Amino acid sequence: MERLPSVMSQNRVWYCLDCGKCSAVCPITRWETRQYTSPRLLVEKAVQGHPDEVLDDPLFWSCLTCKRCSELCPSGVYFSEFLRDARAMAQEKGQKGECSHSEVIQVWGRIMAHANPAQDRLGWIDGDLRVSHDSDVLYFVGCLPYYDALFKKIGCEGIEIARAAIRILNHLGIEPQVLADERCCGHDQLWEGDWETFQALARLNLEQIQASGAQQIVTTCPECARTLKLDYPRLVGGHPLRVFHLTEFLAQPGIGDRLNLKAEDMSPTVTYQDPCRLGRHLGVYDAPRQLMDRLGLHRIEMGRTGKASLCCGTSCWTQCGQVSKNIQVERLREAKATGAECLVTACVKCQIHFKCAQSDPALREELGIDIRDLTTLLAERLGDGTKAEPS
Amino acid sequence: MNDRARVVVFTCNWSGYSGLEAAGGARLGFPASVFPLRVTCLGRLSSGVILKAFEKGAAGVLLLGCPPGECHYQFGNHRAEEVLAEARQLAGLLGYRREQLKLDWVDAGDGEAFVTKVRDFIAGLNGK
Repeated sequence: MERLPSVMSQNRVWYCLDCGKCSAVCPITRWETRQYTSPRLLVEKAVQGHPDEVLDDPLFWSCLTCKRCSELCPSGVYFSEFLRDARAMAQEKGQKGECSHSEVIQVWGRIMAHANPAQDRLGWIDGDLRVSHDSDVLYFVGCLPYYDALFKKIGCEGIEIARAAIRILNHLGIEPQVLADERCCGHDQLWEGDWETFQALARLNLEQIQASGAQQIVTTCPECARTLKLDYPRLVGGHPLRVFHLTEFLAQPGIGDRLNLKAEDMSPTVTYQDPCRLGRHLGVYDAPRQLMDRLGLHRIEMGRTGKASLCCGTSCWTQCGQVSKNIQVERLREAKATGAECLVTACVKCQIHFKCAQSDPALREELGIDIRDLTTLLAERLGDGTKAEPS
Repeated sequence: MNDRARVVVFTCNWSGYSGLEAAGGARLGFPASVFPLRVTCLGRLSSGVILKAFEKGAAGVLLLGCPPGECHYQFGNHRAEEVLAEARQLAGLLGYRREQLKLDWVDAGDGEAFVTKVRDFIAGLNGK
């Protein structure tokens, strides 16, 4: 951890005023009962030159990097990024966080990065879904086929999200490219400090993306969007492609307004969970809301929404436990309190984490609310043919 | 795939491992490329542990447990089937062939069956 001071400088940690605004909003601080922990305290340990205490702090591995603290910080400390970079140093020393799901998600990431298998990941493209090899648009599927295999049992929409995305793009006359050997984008590896795997995955993806000849990348995963848009160019290699989350892509004039959406008489009342990566990381708040409004959904916002939105409680499949569960329950109660029938999100991970919390038999009734991805909601309301003229 | 390709064999403590011990006692040989790993019950495995064997370079992963209906813990081999189904789906997406991952059983103390099943699994990997 001898490089800690330089990582602190890069991320403006020295500017901390010790004001504690971060601690007031940190979801981990609120629920970590074993030991007091907060972003401010962790920064103080770093500033006072105690790297071992920084590493031992529960927040070091459990921070969700949701950037809620950064929204309020008057000094502009990049706390999430500071931990991301410090975790990479810790991993070099052989330390890491506790992986959930028997580490299977990290394992498949490493297999994709190093073992070089020929994946068989496009079996879901069937029926009326149309893809091509020369489209201007590349749909980056992300780990959806894998999450489908792992989380179908808790009701995760999984690969249905990818099918819905292709259906929406087809509706607009776009037959997107999909990569037969696309790798995990490396988001989780980057944020939990596995720098080596992240770089390997990024290089493999960049090779294929550049060879595709596409000009635009569309994803349905905010983490893929952030990583491809911000982290690949900054950390691994530039690419000329424009990167969009599907909701952003559809918000462009002349594209989304061509969607012919069926208005339904009995649309459910919905509330919206801003995914951290889409909201605070990429600044996309309005695009998904506009789409919901166009669907005629009656939207009721939760108390904490937009920039103040509460994270779904787990990040990078690491350190999932009582604290994560409490955050998820807190958020689901908030969603239920709006009176909405459906919690809409735009990130498959939010959906997985909330559905996991809902699977607790003791809480099933209290937390029972339908959870849907905006992509599948949109796809099932597509009418016949696009609108002739952009409105 | 050659005969030296590494194969990980997860054995349950009660039947699979008992078969391995009996094979050793009877001096029944099996290829040196086989890495047996003893677990208390195959039901305690997870898809992460199984895929990790592939990550570390295994060409095949064989799970040897108790005969159907004779699990030492009653439901362990049923649980192992569920884990296998999940691991198979993930391994298939990653590009591993179906014959590279298999669940089978041996009777407790049956060294010959252990050796036969391991050899058959390796032969299957080699497409024989």
